[in-house]
Amino acid sequence: MPTRTPTSDADTPATAETPPSVVLGEPVLRWSARAHSIPEIETELAKIWAAQDLTVETDGEKSRHVAARTSVMNLVVVARRPELAERCAATIQMLTGRHPSRTIVIQSADPDGPSWLDGRIEAHCILPREDAAEICAETIHLICGGEAGRHLSAIATPLIIHDLPVTVWWPGEPPLTTAAARDLLADADRLVVDGSTWSGDGLDRLRELASMLDVTRLSISDFALARQSRWREAIASVFDDPDFLPYLRSLRRIAVTYATHDESGAAGSTNLVKPIYHVGWLASRLGLKVVKTLSAVAGPARPASGGRVRAGTVKPAVGRGLAATLTDGRAEVAVVIRPVVSTVPAGTTLRVELLAERRGSELRADVTAEAETVHMRVWQDGVEVLDRHFRAPRRGEADLLAEAIESGRRDPVSVGALRAAAELIGASEGRT
Amino acid sequence: MATARGATKAKATVKVKDPAPVDAPPDQPIPARPAPRPKDAPLTIKDLRLARAGKRASRAKPVTNVLREGLRLERVPDPSVLVLFGATGDLAHRKVIPALYHLWRTNLLPHEFILLAIGRRDYDDDAFRQEIHKALHQYSRLLPLDEAAWRSFSERIRYHRLDFADANGFETLSARLDSFDETEGTRSNRLYYLATQPSQFAEIIGQLGRVGLDHEKHEGGWRRVVIEKPFGHDGVSAQKLNREVGKVFRESQVYRIDHYLGKETVRNLLVFRFGNGIFEPLWNRRYVDHVQITVAESIGIENRGAFYEQTGASRDVLQNHLLQLVSLVAMEPPATFEANALRDEKVKVLRAIEITPEDVSNDVVRGQYAAGWVGATQVPGYREEPDVDPESETETFVAAKFMIDDWRWSGVPFYVRTGKRLPKRSTEIAIQYREVPHRLFKDEGVEPDPNLLAIRIQPDEGIMLRFGAKVPGLGLDVRSVTMDFTYGSAFSVDSPDAYETLILDALQGDASLFTRADEVEEAWSIVDPIIDSWASGPAPAFPNYDAGTWGPPEADALIERDGRRWRRI
Repeated sequence: MPTRTPTSDADTPATAETPPSVVLGEPVLRWSARAHSIPEIETELAKIWAAQDLTVETDGEKSRHVAARTSVMNLVVVARRPELAERCAATIQMLTGRHPSRTIVIQSADPDGPSWLDGRIEAHCILPREDAAEICAETIHLICGGEAGRHLSAIATPLIIHDLPVTVWWPGEPPLTTAAARDLLADADRLVVDGSTWSGDGLDRLRELASMLDVTRLSISDFALARQSRWREAIASVFDDPDFLPYLRSLRRIAVTYATHDESGAAGSTNLVKPIYHVGWLASRLGLKVVKTLSAVAGPARPASGGRVRAGTVKPAVGRGLAATLTDGRAEVAVVIRPVVSTVPAGTTLRVELLAERRGSELRADVTAEAETVHMRVWQDGVEVLDRHFRAPRRGEADLLAEAIESGRRDPVSVGALRAAAELIGASEGRT
Repeated sequence: MATARGATKAKATVKVKDPAPVDAPPDQPIPARPAPRPKDAPLTIKDLRLARAGKRASRAKPVTNVLREGLRLERVPDPSVLVLFGATGDLAHRKVIPALYHLWRTNLLPHEFILLAIGRRDYDDDAFRQEIHKALHQYSRLLPLDEAAWRSFSERIRYHRLDFADANGFETLSARLDSFDETEGTRSNRLYYLATQPSQFAEIIGQLGRVGLDHEKHEGGWRRVVIEKPFGHDGVSAQKLNREVGKVFRESQVYRIDHYLGKETVRNLLVFRFGNGIFEPLWNRRYVDHVQITVAESIGIENRGAFYEQTGASRDVLQNHLLQLVSLVAMEPPATFEANALRDEKVKVLRAIEITPEDVSNDVVRGQYAAGWVGATQVPGYREEPDVDPESETETFVAAKFMIDDWRWSGVPFYVRTGKRLPKRSTEIAIQYREVPHRLFKDEGVEPDPNLLAIRIQPDEGIMLRFGAKVPGLGLDVRSVTMDFTYGSAFSVDSPDAYETLILDALQGDASLFTRADEVEEAWSIVDPIIDSWASGPAPAFPNYDAGTWGPPEADALIERDGRRWRRI
């Protein structure tokens, strides 16, 4: 791969970063500066583009090359910990070429100390090909000390490029009901979260997230739901077959098996967001209404479903899981969400099973997933009629973020799945 | 299938009332006009009969797979076998197989997929795989090759030696395909891809029909055929080929490929026109002065002298690529983004273009290149190329003015040109807008050019809008400036190759970007009179343009006599 060594022939400010070699298609740090107030940051941002004509050295020869700032959106990242902020910044850099954005990474520190602001302004550029102009995007890393860290909106708003959409990526535990979050999200177009990383069973926060659909115009992207696209693809494909399609309106049972590390199966010990999204998606697509919200299945701990679950090591004896009842208006649909002790990350879906009955005939579908593939099997009246593998690797954060950014307005499928998930767990209730 | 099932369901619930007596006494009051039947009312016997006969869909609500809604991933096609005829040929190596490899690499082919390569050479599976591996190193758009992806892809490749004239060979082929259903789970779905010489299309299709490889099965198992261009040598041969294909396959099973339609920018043309509110109101005779479409190639005939002698620019590019671009630019918005709705509108455009022998002499120019310089390379003239007749009258350049006789475009000329050995490779659609009705700034500096919208198909795919702007300063000078959108900078991701798009569509059963039989025949009805007129006229004074120039002077005269000029590309 050809490499080029860029240098700047503009007046190089003291804060300029000595740029490393350019590798085609790879983002490279082309500018770095520090500032300690919002006006200083704005000044530094202006300086970057005032010196945008850069000389690029190719095989020892200098040639002029214009770097163009490209922004398609503002991306505000609220990271509570330094390592989270770094990880998010690295993910965003991977998207420089695909979705060049002005990124503002806000991190709070020393909340009880005096107010201060430390800003690092960077420009990352990507050279798509030899004869193309470089595409550059800015990243502003902010560490806010004391009271300043509680006024996220006041910090982010002046740095946002006007007229471009604003996406707030809130990794970790977003305090969605706090005033700081409310103010920041009031000016945003999209909120990106990852429900599978929330502490406990994650259901309280899921309720909060769903309630935001009613009180804001935000589009919401949850990585936990987006990651399940490969499952949804496999489940939907069962009913692509015209012979099985009529069963779709006659679903009678939905069972989701998920991994837990807690052998006691105690309530709140494992994040349940992903398994509940599976049911939420099916319920919303099929128009199923909740008759009885999710509650713990009574009875003694059951033995785990053993060898049928391939992923991870299965141990005996866990809680019996949760059950709910839905209805399609004609008949009830039983929902079971059950844990299995496994070595895969807790909360990971291991299996989705569907049972449909129609005119005395029965269709059973069983979907499992591994790292690179999703496996789907279908039985009609006890006879196996379909056995398919889908090559669908697990998706990384960069890919999920890109999808969230690309999805534009509110996605009715995500909205439906989130609302149905919240109804399933009892949107207005306390803990299940 | 869904509709048929719906019809069956409706049949079970039908209730037929006793008809009113026809001999009712005349003094009986005239019955009131019956109220319109509610939507959910039972169907009549006539409805059911028509629905059963396939003449009208019953009113029963079709069942759809609601779980498909909103899935953002490309739907993975059904398990299937792609039977590639001409697998050892140039097209298969350069385009088709690399496209399949890229689809496999991005998980867009089903796990239960088999590429059955058909050729006459005496290969076994491994020998063919080695040849393909080498070809991918040369032609893949993503290098270096992903060896892990290649390994898994190569396991899906099989080679089958077959002489197309050998009837028994097709029986063996049929048995082998059936065996894949058993061993590989391909579920009786087959896509036949004809990447052979056009002269072999009819023979292969006939053989497929003879051994029943066209039969779709009730329990699933679709059969589709992809046919490469050129589709016929003229209108008569295209009709004949359509008839031969139609004897075996239904039109819905036939996918005639014109790879231009799979190009990202061509597909974006539909989005640009019908996905933006601001352009469509300006897309008509009221605002557009004329349209220019250029398909320029800097290369020559690349050792395809024998082929090109039989085709020329009019058959090679004008009849397909250029007329497809014309129809996409000029078509009315389709009611739905569905294959037949889209193609209906394109056909209407082609029907609205009429060419008479008189039009040919006035509005069509042909040319053939002489030796010259393209870039820094001296190149021979067409007649000096290998396998070309030294007295050849084959055209390597054609320019034409078409008038589209419909409400939207009446009076707006469409100038098209295509040629070999032009100064650069470039495909572009330019919408030239009319001048402002009143020249407010005519005394001030340079008069700005009228607005122009240029859609670049290749290279540097993008869209450019030209408009006037005031030059900074105390005066009131106006100068043309451009707003330039390039795919490369806005979306720094690789676009899929046209063949990837089209093969995936064919596997999915989406025919939107493929050419329908009537479309092909209508396109020939435009090109046939041109070729016939040339054949019956005097011999052309060829060569008439130097390689590395923009065609013969007559092409400039064609547009300049209307007070316009070709865009400098």
